Amino acid sequence: MTEILILGRRATREILRYPEATIPTLFIPVFFLAVNIGQVSKTFPSTTPFLRGQGYAAFQLPVSLMFAVATATSGLALVTEIDLGYFDKLLVAPIRRSSIIFGRLTADLVRGVGTSAIVLLVGLGFGVEIRTGLAGAVVIVILAALFGVAYAGFGILVALRTRNVQATQSSFLLFFPLLFLTPNFVPFNRLSPAMETLARINPISYVIVGTRSLVIDGWQPGRIAVCLGVIVGLGLLLTALSLRTIATYDR
Amino acid sequence: MRSPPVYPGVCPTADLGSKPVLDPPSRPARTPDADAAAISARSLRRVFKGGVEAVAAIDLTVDRGEIFGFLGPNGAGKTTTVRMLCTLLPPTSGSARVAGLDVAAAAAEVRRRIGVALQEIGLDPVQTGRELLELQCGLYGITGRRARSRAMELLELVGLTVAADRRTKTYSGGMKRRLDLATALVHAPEVLFLDEPTTGLDPASRMSIWEEVRRINAAGTTVFLTTQYLEEADQLCARLAIIDGGRIVAEGTPRQLKAEMGHDVVSVSLQGADVAATEAALRGLPGLQRTLAEPHALALYVEDGAGQVAEIVRRLDRERITVGAISVARPSLDDVFLRATGRRLEGRQEQAPTAEAAAG
Repeated sequence: MTEILILGRRATREILRYPEATIPTLFIPVFFLAVNIGQVSKTFPSTTPFLRGQGYAAFQLPVSLMFAVATATSGLALVTEIDLGYFDKLLVAPIRRSSIIFGRLTADLVRGVGTSAIVLLVGLGFGVEIRTGLAGAVVIVILAALFGVAYAGFGILVALRTRNVQATQSSFLLFFPLLFLTPNFVPFNRLSPAMETLARINPISYVIVGTRSLVIDGWQPGRIAVCLGVIVGLGLLLTALSLRTIATYDR
Repeated sequence: MRSPPVYPGVCPTADLGSKPVLDPPSRPARTPDADAAAISARSLRRVFKGGVEAVAAIDLTVDRGEIFGFLGPNGAGKTTTVRMLCTLLPPTSGSARVAGLDVAAAAAEVRRRIGVALQEIGLDPVQTGRELLELQCGLYGITGRRARSRAMELLELVGLTVAADRRTKTYSGGMKRRLDLATALVHAPEVLFLDEPTTGLDPASRMSIWEEVRRINAAGTTVFLTTQYLEEADQLCARLAIIDGGRIVAEGTPRQLKAEMGHDVVSVSLQGADVAATEAALRGLPGLQRTLAEPHALALYVEDGAGQVAEIVRRLDRERITVGAISVARPSLDDVFLRATGRRLEGRQEQAPTAEAAAG
């Protein structure tokens, strides 16, 4: 546990010292939020049934939150470390190899809390009202940050398997189809049948729906539980794959 | 039971002194045989994907407390050997013991007892020198005040106290190498692996690293040092092995290896003289073992070089060949390498400078 804290603190310090790596991850979701609202707010006024009296910003906010936290930053940091040789220094230290990954994920949690809180505040600036109040806002930030941690496992996995900066950087692009094959613009029942089928089998849909319910609908334990279940399942799967990869690294 | 090394020139840390980083009772029992050597490898072999045999069943023994040199050109198998001995790479076959422990069966325990500074300087550029050393201490179970104190000691040891709070990305190559060396020492390792520690450094930085290595060794740490610099091996190592193409082609003390050559090197400066004619004139010289044409000179490997100078002059005079200076030297490690491999060591022109040259 001490090793994880030591490595987590180091990775967090890295985030704070390299704000230029985090700022773009904030710019893109805020940009999408502003552009999407500008484009369709007249199409979907607050009288639209699925908005339940809120502006379209409330519907889009969870999508922007996912954008803000789903990054390949940890993977990039890891592959850079492999390139620089510091990764070998960690491998030859008497620590569990898993600590290297958990240290990175600890920093992802910190970054996720920070970035999702900022995006949430921007959303409030666009007139979004969190129907579940302050407690709901905290849960939204926690869910978003946990999703960031879960998704970070993918970048770490690509970094360890490819040991290539470009490949790791490109791994982020996979998130676009995952995010757009969801009810990100309209609810499930407004999608075309084919699109609805794809969206319903895409687990990311349930993360968005669960988070969105906290913004628009109020407390809906079933949706939050499914959302959390998907995040935990995704996190366990990607982290387990990363742990297996690091355990067999050069072996 | 061996105590952790104590580095001279550094105030002993009360905490570290009272509670050694390597806690003796936690060490597993070793066999008497294993105790005898700091490093021993038997038929150690590594084959990479595609069938490339980087290390071909080598045998090695490094005694405790010595500086052992592993000399060879790029791609000879030095780094692969180090990575296997450091538990970073599993051997394809064979076995190795470091600090008395099997690198495959007791990898975690081996890691506690070794320090490693690999060829690629392993530093985190975002951290300061002090932060990096304290972090490294933490990875070896040294935390809090003890870690801060140990980091300060090591910064002082490698002369980086002034730069302690600068991020390592602002360090020069020599400073980075010294800090890397310090990170390998936080836990007072029994065996220190240095993989080409001076490659790419300027002469002054090389000299500084040599001094550090000598100091570390004087404190009782066994040093396994790979290098492609003949002068470095000659200056630092009590014993060395020459590796080429994954095979150890010579092993012994530098003096032994040179003595085994059984000849001197007489260098005839050609100064425009025809090399073939000069070679022909000297063919059949008593005790001549071989000749080697070099740019602007002809090297003669001959027994009793000093005694043959007069005969060389006579023969050249007889053939009316005018040459420049004729000098006699004892064989170098490069000559040893030449005899063992049939070619000169790569990068000979980049040899590490002598102490005089560096000081100048």
